[in-house]
Amino acid sequence: MKKNRIQNAIIHRLPAVLAAAFLASAALSGCGSAPPRTDGSQAIHAESSADSQKEGAEDLSSGEKKSLVFGDTTFNAENEESNIDPHSAYCGWACIRYGVGETLFKFSDGMELEPWIASGYKNIDPLTWEISIKDGVTFSNGKAVDAEAVKACIEDLAAVHERAAGDLMIDEILADGQLLTIRTKEEKPTLINYLCDPYGCIIDVEAGNENGIVTGTGPFIAKELVTDDHIKLVKNKSYWNGEPKIDEITVLTISDGDTLAFSLQNGDIDAAYGMAYASYPIFENDDYTFSSSPTSRAFFCQMNFRSPIMQDEAVRKAIALGIDKQGFVDTLLRGYGYVGTGAFPDSFSYGGQKLETEGYDPEEAKAELEEAGWIDRDGDGIREKDGQALSIRWISYPSRQELPLLAEYAHSTLKEIGIDVQLTISADHNAIVSEPEGWDLYAAAFVTCGTGDPAYFFTTHCLKDSVKNRGAYYDEELEELAAELNRTFDPEKRSQLAIQMQEEILDDNAFIFCSFLRMSMISKANVTGLSAHTCDYYELTADLDIS
Amino acid sequence: MSRVGAKRARVQGMKKDYLKIRLFLFSALAVLLILGALFSEQICPCDPYGQDLAKALQAPNPGHLMGTDAYGRDMLSRVIAGSKVSILSTLSLVAFIAVFGTAAGVFCGYVEGLPDSVLMRISDLCLAFPGLVFALAVAAILGGGVLNAAIALAAISWPKYARLARSRTLEMKGRSFIEAAFLSGDTDLQLMTRHILPNIAGPILVTAMLDIGTMMMELAGLSFLGLGAQPPTAEWGSMMSSGRSMLQTYPWVVLSPGLAVFATVAVFNLLGDTVRDYLDPGQ
Repeated sequence: MKKNRIQNAIIHRLPAVLAAAFLASAALSGCGSAPPRTDGSQAIHAESSADSQKEGAEDLSSGEKKSLVFGDTTFNAENEESNIDPHSAYCGWACIRYGVGETLFKFSDGMELEPWIASGYKNIDPLTWEISIKDGVTFSNGKAVDAEAVKACIEDLAAVHERAAGDLMIDEILADGQLLTIRTKEEKPTLINYLCDPYGCIIDVEAGNENGIVTGTGPFIAKELVTDDHIKLVKNKSYWNGEPKIDEITVLTISDGDTLAFSLQNGDIDAAYGMAYASYPIFENDDYTFSSSPTSRAFFCQMNFRSPIMQDEAVRKAIALGIDKQGFVDTLLRGYGYVGTGAFPDSFSYGGQKLETEGYDPEEAKAELEEAGWIDRDGDGIREKDGQALSIRWISYPSRQELPLLAEYAHSTLKEIGIDVQLTISADHNAIVSEPEGWDLYAAAFVTCGTGDPAYFFTTHCLKDSVKNRGAYYDEELEELAAELNRTFDPEKRSQLAIQMQEEILDDNAFIFCSFLRMSMISKANVTGLSAHTCDYYELTADLDIS
Repeated sequence: MSRVGAKRARVQGMKKDYLKIRLFLFSALAVLLILGALFSEQICPCDPYGQDLAKALQAPNPGHLMGTDAYGRDMLSRVIAGSKVSILSTLSLVAFIAVFGTAAGVFCGYVEGLPDSVLMRISDLCLAFPGLVFALAVAAILGGGVLNAAIALAAISWPKYARLARSRTLEMKGRSFIEAAFLSGDTDLQLMTRHILPNIAGPILVTAMLDIGTMMMELAGLSFLGLGAQPPTAEWGSMMSSGRSMLQTYPWVVLSPGLAVFATVAVFNLLGDTVRDYLDPGQ
């Protein structure tokens, strides 16, 4: 009887046991299906095409190839980086960051100009610049880089890249051997700085642009690109400036910060850019290396002067007084940031230490609003004036993890002073702010000193014709100062003008600069040569190595 | 009555009693949850939206039984406040789709012909897409917000009720008591509301009860993906989403709303099962 019961139990449970065994074996075989990498770490995906399989087979046969997988949250179409063609929107950032392209000059850690593809420059007259191209620099296809090739590249850039055309104002380019002469339409004291922008990567335009893959002069060659997924890089064996140490790099687009953290933990990736602050404690140990650098990437608020409520000076001032920048940096950014005063970090000669602006002072904010007639008459905690509640529409986007944190924190601190904040954190932010009166305040991230010169931020954000002057801000004095800055070559005088211009926009509370990013990249302890840079442009270099 | 028959009757009686106890227990728990949601503002120990960075990310302690989040907000208060959005939105949504779907189904089943064909083809369209994917698309078009997420879920959920009500109505229409009511002078509306609807209400009620848990999960899912409640609204799905990066470092931030979802969905699912068993003990 008992035996029969056991038999019945086995028969009844057999399908479940078999199913469990099948699932377990499938899971295990799934885990083990990826071939091991030659460096001993686990490969993360397999090639699908016959060519790539062949290439993979060759890689394995050679035995000692070094490979590295880099996870990046920002290499995606949402950040205008759908490929690595520097002549397309902001794709140049990927081109220069991943070591495919290089510019004529580069920035040092102190944001000073240094030679790179070029050996030097001369400012012949206010409109004419002579740039000497180094001998021996080659594109990754073996073609020598001479003035003619650089001329073709910059002319193509000016023809297709609206922002670059406006920045450079090129009238004529002459090429003679290794000597490049650029004439500008108007005085451009910052021409060399602008040529260090990622869009200034020198690429072989004759080699074309197949699927957004370009031919540059950097230590790595792009072999395969799938937008929003990955880019595969291989070593440029004929690199002009030393031999890259890594043979193959896969940059994976991992837009989700948590996936990025898990990927680094389980060894799917070797290094990461864009890790969530909340995940930092997981990696603060000897198994991982942090490389951090202060940057001029500002998290700031831009006011919409088309919106009736934001035209009220007291409201703008109250908002500036009502945001606790120090608390935001210390707690929510875990100290990986700096409190912002002006448009530029304190370490710059025209930085925030020379400026005064509203600090966090809720009592003064309340007094400002009271004086302007904004009073909470119905006792709901939100102020009103002429029957209108003091409610602002705060627009931002989630791909910069700091922005939702700032928005939610400001929601609370502004509510304390009687301002209701309606948050919209959306990847569709550009469409929202393109509606003239569809928003009140736009919080964004921007590298304010991407060219090592203050003019960049003002020309992009603050002037009447600025592309990113979303809120239609206009200040006549600022326009005059900008015109003067454009004519001024003396760096000291330029710094003074930059300070005056910041004072103008801060006096109007047209912008609130909340903080600057301390940029960090996290890698496994066996990765070396991965250094965060002040300007956030240079990531994968010939020095990168994995043991 | 034979001894076997008496024993069977006693067992059935015990089962009925057990069902009654279960029904009472789960109904009481569900009522408790609904009351908690209705009076969440009164029972929150702290302000669920009050930030205090000095108390950020505190582990559960006597002052904050579920710990605090990155902004120093009391997690217990946020979970309680979140119940208002999560539970009441779900109940409203289920009530709406049950009423609308049933009304459409009864109408289609009763009148048949062209209106029936048109409405059923529309319901076919809604059912042709994978449910949550369709809801994601609708919510993405409408934009973020609890209301928009509820509209998206309503769009994919009403056909289930419509089809059920329609098939039962078609079945009822042929019954003699309907014909008798018609001959005694009842209008079409009276036939539908007085005679058909009460007779098909049982399975619809059971379906609605069982749907509460599913809807709650889907609503939380949309919020988790950023298409439901927007920050800083305390809603379980969005709270889990904003805390998910802290799963390894500060697990209480994500586990607290997660436990709330788990417990609530379990209570409503068990209640639904019990109601089904109670109304149809033969199944």
